Amino acid sequence: MNDYKAIMIGGSAGSFQVVTRIIAALPANYPLPILMCLHRLKHIRSGFVEALSIKSKLPIIEPHDKEPLKAGRIYLAPANYHMYIELGNRFSLSTEDVVNHSRPSIDLSFFSASYNFKKKLVGIILSGANKDGALGLKSVTDNGGLTIVQDPKECQVPTMTQASLNATKVDYVFSTKQIIDFLLKLA
Amino acid sequence: MVDNIGIVDTRNIISAVTDAYGIDMSDYTFTILKRRLIHAINTFGSHSADDFADKIRKKIITADDFLYTVSLEVTEFFRDPSLWRELRDKYIPEICRTTDSRIWMPCVTSGDELFSLAIVLNEAGLQGKTKIDALCPSQKHIDLIKKGGNYDQKKIEVSEANYTRYVGKTQFASYYTLTDNRAEMKPTLLNDVSIDVNSDILNTSIAKKYKMVVYRNKLLQFNIPLYDKVIRKLIDSLEIGGYLVIGNMETLEYSEASKKLQIVNANEKIYKKRVD
Repeated sequence: MNDYKAIMIGGSAGSFQVVTRIIAALPANYPLPILMCLHRLKHIRSGFVEALSIKSKLPIIEPHDKEPLKAGRIYLAPANYHMYIELGNRFSLSTEDVVNHSRPSIDLSFFSASYNFKKKLVGIILSGANKDGALGLKSVTDNGGLTIVQDPKECQVPTMTQASLNATKVDYVFSTKQIIDFLLKLA
Repeated sequence: MVDNIGIVDTRNIISAVTDAYGIDMSDYTFTILKRRLIHAINTFGSHSADDFADKIRKKIITADDFLYTVSLEVTEFFRDPSLWRELRDKYIPEICRTTDSRIWMPCVTSGDELFSLAIVLNEAGLQGKTKIDALCPSQKHIDLIKKGGNYDQKKIEVSEANYTRYVGKTQFASYYTLTDNRAEMKPTLLNDVSIDVNSDILNTSIAKKYKMVVYRNKLLQFNIPLYDKVIRKLIDSLEIGGYLVIGNMETLEYSEASKKLQIVNANEKIYKKRVD
């Protein structure tokens, strides 16, 4: 259970409140890095980190290109860049074209993180209005990682979670509370 | 359709590129290069990474076509509108106070940033007073840009919105002509631009130093050792007091050479070269 090296969360429409609840529940000494790729307005560069930070005991950071990944931090994919995790645990950012109408694309972040961390990654897909993230979560499964999908019945917009369930066999379908309990057990 | 390649495939292609074209991509960012190579494999109709490497070694694919296809594109005009507004209203008028003002754009691919800069010069009333020296990775890039590029509706819509946020002095549509939902920028925007082919910034000679270098989101392509060399080259190309502009989520902090610069606009990542 404690072998995991990172947790990656993808979400879109309807995920903000869920993410806020998850962040608020994590203690200041939470040992794993949390990587969040959330769909956001690409022309608004500031404000999102500040909004998420209000209830967080952990520092929330938009990583710069080549920044090393560190435990005990929450990283948020910056506006208008795709966010990758390179071998060697550094972030890289890219201005490549949108994927699934999105930059950052959840699929692309999950592809690189699952390739890097293999079975030591926990991938979580939350509420969202398109299918971005579904193939990304499949790549977590394919690389031996652990997968969680927010229960579509609980999602404000279940398109993303349902697409993920259709794309791959997930380990757990959890409510927000169950996701929080699971993450706390990893600490 | 090839949808993924591994490290071994990527290294094999890098080796083929070095052997066939004399281009060293071994210190490029792995994930970005891998994605660009997958794009190239499919563009050239190869059925596998090995098949693609073979076509490169046999030069069935020319170096120019390879570089055109594999280059990382910028996908918007006026990406980060506030940066372009700062350049128009503050930094470019400042560097144009003296004669022989020149700006370097050493890696132009899709042309978005070059045309954006040309429009900024135009709107600052400085067309004819500033020269832009641009480098493109391939002749194919140059040929396309000189004709005004060929941009799809999606890019134009995003760029229109960016131009509005930049608070442009006219309508973005006045800078292009639209045919069959494809936009071509007006080639007269490039009257003060000279463009040459060069895919290796480290292998360029700087005859006269520049007042400004615009190199946004290009350092993303490189691992730290190559990134460091490129930053040294960029700094070396600048006059004392000249400005370097990089992407807003790029940083120079992993290069010792960055001590030669001071940041003058942290939000827009504008740096000024210090007195030695």
